[in-house]
Amino acid sequence: MAISRRDVLLGSAGALGATSFSFPMPALADSEPIKIGCLAAMTGPSSAPTLGFNRGVAFAVDAINAAGGVKGRKIEIVMRDTQGDPSKAVNATQEMISQVKVHGIWGPLNSGEALATTPIMGRAKMPNIHPCVVETLIDPAKYPNAFRMAPSNSQWDDAVRNYCLNILKAKKIAVIGDTTGYGVTALGASVAAFKKDGAEVVYQANIDATQPDVSPDMLRARNAGAEAIVVWSVTTGMDARMFNTRATMGWDVPFVGHPSMSSGEIAGLVEKPENWKKVYAIGYKSCSYDASGKLPAKSEELVARLTRAKIALSDTLLWWIAGGIDAVELFAKAVEISGSTDGPGIIAYLNSLDKYPGYFGDYTFTPTQHNGYPTDEVVMSEASTAKNGTFALAPGYS
Amino acid sequence: MLASILASGLAAGAVYALVGITYNTMFSTSRVMSFTTGQLAMLGGVLGSLFTLKLGLGVMAGLVLTLIGCALIGIVTEFVAVRPVLKSLDQHLYVLSTLALALMIQQVAAIKWGTEPQPFPRLIGLGSGVWDEKFWLPVAACAITIAGLEYLYRRTLVGRAFLAISEDNFAARALGLPERNLRVASYALAGIIGGIAGFSGGELLLAFFANGALLNFYGFVPVALGGLGNNRGAIVGGLALGLFQQAANFLVGGIFSSVAVFTLFIVVLLAAPQGLFGVSTARRV
Repeated sequence: MAISRRDVLLGSAGALGATSFSFPMPALADSEPIKIGCLAAMTGPSSAPTLGFNRGVAFAVDAINAAGGVKGRKIEIVMRDTQGDPSKAVNATQEMISQVKVHGIWGPLNSGEALATTPIMGRAKMPNIHPCVVETLIDPAKYPNAFRMAPSNSQWDDAVRNYCLNILKAKKIAVIGDTTGYGVTALGASVAAFKKDGAEVVYQANIDATQPDVSPDMLRARNAGAEAIVVWSVTTGMDARMFNTRATMGWDVPFVGHPSMSSGEIAGLVEKPENWKKVYAIGYKSCSYDASGKLPAKSEELVARLTRAKIALSDTLLWWIAGGIDAVELFAKAVEISGSTDGPGIIAYLNSLDKYPGYFGDYTFTPTQHNGYPTDEVVMSEASTAKNGTFALAPGYS
Repeated sequence: MLASILASGLAAGAVYALVGITYNTMFSTSRVMSFTTGQLAMLGGVLGSLFTLKLGLGVMAGLVLTLIGCALIGIVTEFVAVRPVLKSLDQHLYVLSTLALALMIQQVAAIKWGTEPQPFPRLIGLGSGVWDEKFWLPVAACAITIAGLEYLYRRTLVGRAFLAISEDNFAARALGLPERNLRVASYALAGIIGGIAGFSGGELLLAFFANGALLNFYGFVPVALGGLGNNRGAIVGGLALGLFQQAANFLVGGIFSSVAVFTLFIVVLLAAPQGLFGVSTARRV
């Protein structure tokens, strides 16, 4: 039988039609990677937390991808170095939303950047998980897409106040902050909360971080009868000067407050190691070891996994690594349960979490509450007891 | 309390006085108030800690290397931020150029050294309480520096050449003095004095990148109080500032003490615009 040109054309059209309609191709969205944007200050002055968080992020991504991904989809991290600069964070956010088209964003990792990027992500309805402490960053009405997986500043404040009033049984409190915006704001909030709880704030002051001699303030606090000094400062130099001055004065008042008091740099700044005793800095139950040197079981398991993966712990904090892991796992779980990478689905899943068991803590979010970290997980640590990124639980906790 | 005010106030005041002298040394040969002055003192602390503590060199080797480093930064200031704008001194472009260089120095220090204060080693290990070396060392360094400068200016040819240029730049050049080389030398000398301020005050101020801005500010006050270019005025002004500041710290508290210091500063300048020890210059009318 002769095959005409018309037959060939008809046959070709039929074959083309068959490939187009008879055998549906898998949708691109089902196989493309899950893109998580990561706004991280990897260089510059505020890079220390990022380095820790990034170890957790990389660990979680490797583990999930090695196990086959999320329903067969790999996780891809889109990392941008913000250098701690809000303007760079804004540019990176806009690039991630409009060009890279990520499915969710982890970070920024400091409040200064987050204050600039949160409204942008809010307008784009971009699912966002971050660990920043400033209160105004979380507002489910204004930013229904933003979720905080670490304590807010008021949760820190609650934990410090609880330790001073209920465990140390101190009733006369001195509150000292540095002169940064953070120090002034935190001091004001802390003083108001102490007074509300019936404590007597006998002394309050903001000290310039570069002030070489803090003995005037320490003398005034002692003369006022302070039984505990609450410190809201990010400056280790000022912390160390107060510890040294306390020792010179022969005073044994406890210091309670900001995590900067447990920074490893203080070891070199105190004149004697004992000057750093009786200093209780904010820490977390999941990352605090008890009198026998044991972490909670889940954290012990995490440390074992990290050790097997040769993740260094000695130069960072465990909660930073655990937080990075939890953030990635939350996004992965959201995609798995909601069945897609659509923003509304991810947000709806996060809003439904009730005591989701993370490594850093058990997270609870509702449509009206996006501060997911439980306050009772925030505890005081003995500041001078750092061991592989964890600290000894301060005395008084059962 | 009085002993604490005296010890801490004189120590801080001695550092401010040395920074004031650093301003004057640069000003004398170039008529430029360089914003890198405070950064030189900051580097005195940072480099001192780097050489003696981090690299484990001895105190003397650390001091010498610190002063060499600061002298080099002083020379760089002259080449990069001062020389290019000297021809248009009346437009005050040096404000911009020296401020830009100062910010660069500060940022590099922040990135390379870190933004947290770092420890500075005990240099001698003498004294405790109000007699601790961190209090008397800056005062001793200030006294030795002043004696050295007096010797340089009064007994050496180079020192007299500095004075000649400071008195009348054009006349000095007409006499054949190498004005440009002397200016470079004066910037190196200023770097050394700034380095001494930071090194001797390191135990008090720690090795902290933010000290530069603080010392720029507080180091300028004694210059303005004592009269521009007047080293004796800077010393008296610096010590008085340190004592007043520490007394205000005790009496009214940290934040308000700064307000007190600058209120006094403004009052003095209103009463004596040329500074307490300055001489008002004749004006051609």
